[in-house]
Amino acid sequence: MVRTWYLLACLTVAGIGVAARDVDAGRQAPMQTAADTLRFVEHGDYIAVGLPSRARPLSLTNPVEGDRRAIATGARIFVAYNCVDCHGADGSGAMGPSFQDGRWRFGGTPPEVFESIYQGRPEGMPAWGGRISEEQIWMLVAYVRSLSAGDITTENFTGIAQERMGH
Amino acid sequence: MTVAHRGAASLVMLAAALACRGDGGRQGAIDSVGGPAVTVRGARIAAPRSGPAGEWEMPAGDYANSRYSELNEITAENAHNLKVSWAFSTGTLRGHEGQPLVIDSTMYVVTPYPNVAYAFDLSQEGQPLKWKFRPANSQAAIGQACCDVVNRGAAFADGKLFYNLLEGSTVAVDVRDGKQVWRTRVASLDRGETITMAPIVVKNLVLVGNSGGELGVRGWIAALDTRTGKEVWRAYSAGPDRDVKVGPRFKPFYAHDRGKDLGVTTWPADAWKTGAGAVWGWLSYDPELNLVYHGTSNPGPWNAEQRPGDNKWTCAILARDADTGELVWAFQVTPHDMWDYDAVNENILVDLPIGGTTRKVLVHFDRNGFAYVLDRATGEALMAHPYVPMNWSTGVDLTTGRPKVVPEKATAQGKKITNICPSLEGGKNQQPAAFSPKTGLFYVPTINLCMDFEARPATYIAGTPYIGASAPEYAGPDGYRGEFMAFDVTTGRKAWGIREPYPVWGGALVTAGDVAFYGTLDGWFKAVDARTGKLLWRFKLGSGVVGNPITYLGPDGTQYVAIYSGLGGDMGVLIAGDVSANVPHDVRVRGTTLPDIGRWTSWGGVLFVFSL
Repeated sequence: MVRTWYLLACLTVAGIGVAARDVDAGRQAPMQTAADTLRFVEHGDYIAVGLPSRARPLSLTNPVEGDRRAIATGARIFVAYNCVDCHGADGSGAMGPSFQDGRWRFGGTPPEVFESIYQGRPEGMPAWGGRISEEQIWMLVAYVRSLSAGDITTENFTGIAQERMGH
Repeated sequence: MTVAHRGAASLVMLAAALACRGDGGRQGAIDSVGGPAVTVRGARIAAPRSGPAGEWEMPAGDYANSRYSELNEITAENAHNLKVSWAFSTGTLRGHEGQPLVIDSTMYVVTPYPNVAYAFDLSQEGQPLKWKFRPANSQAAIGQACCDVVNRGAAFADGKLFYNLLEGSTVAVDVRDGKQVWRTRVASLDRGETITMAPIVVKNLVLVGNSGGELGVRGWIAALDTRTGKEVWRAYSAGPDRDVKVGPRFKPFYAHDRGKDLGVTTWPADAWKTGAGAVWGWLSYDPELNLVYHGTSNPGPWNAEQRPGDNKWTCAILARDADTGELVWAFQVTPHDMWDYDAVNENILVDLPIGGTTRKVLVHFDRNGFAYVLDRATGEALMAHPYVPMNWSTGVDLTTGRPKVVPEKATAQGKKITNICPSLEGGKNQQPAAFSPKTGLFYVPTINLCMDFEARPATYIAGTPYIGASAPEYAGPDGYRGEFMAFDVTTGRKAWGIREPYPVWGGALVTAGDVAFYGTLDGWFKAVDARTGKLLWRFKLGSGVVGNPITYLGPDGTQYVAIYSGLGGDMGVLIAGDVSANVPHDVRVRGTTLPDIGRWTSWGGVLFVFSL
């Protein structure tokens, strides 16, 4: 008895799932078995605060991610192009945001960091794309990502942009 | 002292400082109250205040920059009764430097970026806003401001409020309705220029200057017509005579300051074009001499080896004709600066008894640790006593006006010079001092930090920092980091001082009631006896103080004292985030500079007003 009730419930859920997709597809789908349609109604992908509302970032990969020599060269580039004077030694943060606190306003994956350096960002990050080589940018990406400690310990963290700027 | 010794000494000092703390942490802070009250007789503020005593109509209270008020309802005897009257959250965080204005029963407040202006109707209960002005203000400026997105206040004249936007524009706002009258772009963000300073209005001109000493800008001061915002004149701090406005009126007191195109010849080729000398500090004005006095920032880059020569006119005090900007005299406080000792601190115009006669002088507590007394008509240096512990110079040679540099403290490329005092933040920074004609003393919020300094080659990339140095800072001798003091410049002696655990980054106010007010980085707002330094009253504000107190008469005839709370500024940028840097290659190191500050305050932005 319980099993039948359970099966009915699953079919109902499956039916709803099927119906939801049918609404999207705009046509009647054939009845499917519980086994392959037992799933929750899907939501849209999470859109992170601060990122433009578009699909996923470009699927670039960093050719030198984690490469020790690249990171060391990246550290020297970080100084040569004055990054250190805005972002602080070791990326500890000064005029510009910290790279050590594990919080990334525009995303911390390699392609996202690449884009931030390449395109610049609204609150004063210069656009380096086209001014320095992409090889150098990738080395900076490797270096900057290597600085992140990954843990967040600030007591007054209220949100990404708000916390730093209050507006 | 070797690094190891200093490290051990710092630990001992820290232990001592911690041991000295009583309950609540701050009651036991090291106080040093001097002996009998010192009074310097015959001292007076240079020019009488133009408006009613109950108003605060320009940033420093008056053209002389005295930050003194005749109001005396609040006295040393009754100040312990002060209580909060009202408060207002500005809706912004970050460093709330500067101060409100109070004119005609209206209070005007300008916030840090985005530089909102508020007008409060003081005649109504609850002080409702008359209007609020939120200008368009480029976000890109945020990343070009070296030392937080601060604003040091507005000026007022002809029914208009004038103030600067971080992005490099000056605005004029009609105080009747909060509508913009004009807006002029005066600085170039592309070249790393921003604006944080408080303008003053002289006759029909608004005087403004740029920031960007750390971004290799060209420093300048400009005058805009108050009615239209049109630029009437602009004078540069370096470059050919024509740009610096050196002409027939220029009469520098010292021989080494005379010559053609010194703004070029005291630099290697073209270095003056990225040589800074930014004009980001306070302006004062002598109506009798018609002279505007202002300081100029450090030269760029910090690495002095890239710019041999005196680097005129950086780190200098300049006297300019208010109508034309012509340079009348110049005094270079720190020629060929090697320590980032900007000379932008306020020049307080007073008449002081010196050597038996009354001299018309300006008094300037410089970053470099000396309290200069200059003849304000000629630029002659009359006195220069140290006012904080210092070791980079053995003194100022008054026959030449030049400091005698200790060779071991001269900074250099690839060499780490240790224990230079004061640090690059100086004996005093943007926080302004006050002067009381009743006591003849100056009330000076000071810093006791020292630094290591290692220079390296810097690349100029427009709009990015042009520095070329690492300079971690730490507590100076005795381990305290700040002191609020009463200083007698005629003798070069401190009358009394109140040591603070952190640099005193907020400005001073002193009144005829013999009360001096100041705020601390850890959030205390204090009233002390102007004669003895005795603590009369204090209140823990919502956030640390980097702004300057004012006092005014409310429509009800009561005396009020107003102060911003809102940690930030140069010091606030230091504590942003909670991670310390481990490598020596850092401009400023956290942790050792402001230890434990996060236990006493976080960011905020609230105006507090007090009364009896």
